[in-house]
Amino acid sequence: MKIIINLFVWWSLAAAVFAGQTLTPIPGKVVAPDFALQDTNGKTHRLSDYRGRPVIINFWTTWCPPCREELPSMNRAWHLIREEGIAMLAINMGEDEDTIFIFSADYPTDFPILMDQTGEVIEQWPVKGLPTTYVIAPDGTIAYRAIGSREWDARELLDVIRQLKEQRQEPD
Amino acid sequence: MFKYVTHACRRKRIPGLLFFLLVMPLLCAAEVQRSANEENGLEKWHFIDSDIEIELVQRLPDQTRALFMNHAFSREVIEQLALSCMFQTIVRNTGKSGAGQVIAIDLTQWRMQHAGKTGSILLKEPLLASWSDEDADAAAKLVIRWGMFPTQQEYLPDDYNWGLTAYGIPPGSTFDLAVTWREGEVQRSGEIKGIVCAPDVDKLK
Repeated sequence: MKIIINLFVWWSLAAAVFAGQTLTPIPGKVVAPDFALQDTNGKTHRLSDYRGRPVIINFWTTWCPPCREELPSMNRAWHLIREEGIAMLAINMGEDEDTIFIFSADYPTDFPILMDQTGEVIEQWPVKGLPTTYVIAPDGTIAYRAIGSREWDARELLDVIRQLKEQRQEPD
Repeated sequence: MFKYVTHACRRKRIPGLLFFLLVMPLLCAAEVQRSANEENGLEKWHFIDSDIEIELVQRLPDQTRALFMNHAFSREVIEQLALSCMFQTIVRNTGKSGAGQVIAIDLTQWRMQHAGKTGSILLKEPLLASWSDEDADAAAKLVIRWGMFPTQQEYLPDDYNWGLTAYGIPPGSTFDLAVTWREGEVQRSGEIKGIVCAPDVDKLK
């Protein structure tokens, strides 16, 4: 009976861990595809310019409900991490500056919103659906992935990203 | 809320009382919950089995028209899409078993039964291939490419995806949907019976 109770407790703990805010580790040191995209203010961002620091890259559109759902928590997360050397870029897929501008009245964001109007950049990434978010390690490799929305200001999630700052900057 | 169990566990003989007590309830707990949104009346079918959850939420043809009218689709294509029985669809790997299993779905294997016939659901690839540049420009095709549910996708625990699925039958029609997925190395299946496409505006009261 004791064994059964112990196993049940173990199973309950395991289930609780899996029910939390998690990121999926990406094995194999896959180098993130570089891009050069303009943000809504006309500034060009290249992923390679962010080498040496963790980067959160979120693919989204204004018409995707779970994308909208996670944007407020992403903005809160941005204010928590922006002074810690962690970058955050949201890549809008297929929409123009005016559409994003109107949308931002309801969903204000302070981190850069990049525009992939032709969808060429998203096609270079292993994205299947929206939203999908990648966390890039300082060495330029894809460290984690999240399919679907998350509460990005959750401490357990941000701590995983913070740990990436300890890594070497060159891929193996 | 209406609730019923859809199918029994498909696994063969399971050794051990302990395994039976701890794991079998998860493996055999397939059920479909049918509910309606109190505010807008739209119905939802929520399929739950082991680590997978599938939600199908009715989508009014007018909602679909509104989405696609904002993009460069021809009027004919917008009507084709609006009248194709679209559902907002969510697939989620809950990971609640704690086994950390990858779930893989392949919509080409899903089968719908309607009016005595069995067939495939409407997938985005043939839709996109069927349209000329006049039917939908490149930007409009991107909306379909990313707005409709991925035909194949893998989900780790906590992953979920949202997208539109379409069934190609008239508004107000009823159909059954046989869903399949792979959970780790095990191929699994279930059925959602009596799904009803949202009615068009002329049928709303």
